Amino acid sequence: MPSKKTLHIESSGQICIYCGACVGICPLNCIYLDETRITFDEKVCTRCEICVRACPVGAIEIG
Amino acid sequence: MQNLKTDVLVIGAGPAGSMTAKWAAMSGAKTVMIEKRQEIGSPVRCGEGMSKAWLPDVGIKPSSRWINVEVEGARIFSPAEKVLEINEKHAGNEVGYVVERDAFDKQLAIDAANAGVEVMLKTSAISLLRDDGHIVGVTAKQFGQTFEIRAPITIGADGFESQVGRWAGLPTNLALRDMDSCIQYRMTNVDSDTRYCDFYLGKVAPGGYVWIFPKGDGLANVGIGVQVSKLRNPADVKMYLDKWIAEHPAYSKGKKIDMVGGGVSISAPMKETVTNGFMLVGDAARMIDPLTGGGIANGCIAGKIAGEVAAKAVTANDTSKQFLQAYEKGWRAKIEDKLYRNWLAKEKLCTLPDETFDKIIDALQGVKLEKLTVLNILKAVHDKYPEVTKEFEAFL
Repeated sequence: MPSKKTLHIESSGQICIYCGACVGICPLNCIYLDETRITFDEKVCTRCEICVRACPVGAIEIG
Repeated sequence: MQNLKTDVLVIGAGPAGSMTAKWAAMSGAKTVMIEKRQEIGSPVRCGEGMSKAWLPDVGIKPSSRWINVEVEGARIFSPAEKVLEINEKHAGNEVGYVVERDAFDKQLAIDAANAGVEVMLKTSAISLLRDDGHIVGVTAKQFGQTFEIRAPITIGADGFESQVGRWAGLPTNLALRDMDSCIQYRMTNVDSDTRYCDFYLGKVAPGGYVWIFPKGDGLANVGIGVQVSKLRNPADVKMYLDKWIAEHPAYSKGKKIDMVGGGVSISAPMKETVTNGFMLVGDAARMIDPLTGGGIANGCIAGKIAGEVAAKAVTANDTSKQFLQAYEKGWRAKIEDKLYRNWLAKEKLCTLPDETFDKIIDALQGVKLEKLTVLNILKAVHDKYPEVTKEFEAFL
């Protein structure tokens, strides 16, 4: 099994605008927005990269 | 925090939630509305344009507290910037008033509270409670404390990024092509015409549009939505908007004073919005008009029906999916046809090259359309560019 890529959501406010676009599009419902805090469930996330495309400001990276 | 019991529980205090809660309370049900934020309506995530003909039907009184500007109509700009002016009555559900959304949301919550609704701020639903195949409330969290709110009817009004709809097992998932990713600046010192909401179509905003909604005194919301399936690189949405602004001197001289973003569903209507003990309403139920991106009117219209049906279900002591069909059928009778037709139109528009947009808008110059319907538009276009309408035979 290849090791999973890492997903990074820049949610300190330097890029993220807490708009919730990633939360709404995530097909596995594993991203959570709570006012100015975004978290995602590492175990559920498959690194499908859909949120990377949906983010209007480029705050999500997969490497 | 002690466990609570109520008749009707509404999750989310946006317009659809407040409407649902208010009408449930006015129909006699003991109603609780929870909101995860500490301030209803803020931060705003909206272009702030809305139509107005529907307001009396759901009991909303227009007020200067939340209306910035009343516009006469919309202007649609083709890629070559030929303009089509549309009277407000025909312009779709984003045109009529430009509003102060936070003030609007607060007013609707005040109306709900005054109708008897218990409003709980900073309260998140963290999971649904189930009993014998029925949803019977939520486990909630407020100020670090976890407790239960039990209710025979729970209504999800938690917006575009709805969690509770998915927990309830309703098909809210969106494909990449079913969503526009949006960003907007509120700008001052811009030359926007306060008589119109402006829309720019074509490759400036693939699968969406650029909007200018005037707020008066040189202030305007300048935003963009782009279909997610048409995005290639991170931050493309912001790039498209910044590029558009740079190419338009009336706006590039403006100064940005705030910035918001968000997702907008542009999908076909959902197949199912109820289950035992549960209803979904507003953006959470994908009730946003897929052509215009407007969601407030549809959310409020459906919210009123949801509230009334919820109260009836409680009185009848029947919260089964079958009983709740009254809501499913009720909202569909009011808005489903239009959602579906506009979804078809949007699906077609997304595929058009810029030249076709130019021809369509050009063909409509000076044409007085009695009623702005897809059919009437196509007839007008057919007279001038019959080759263009060939692509639309399905609509004729």
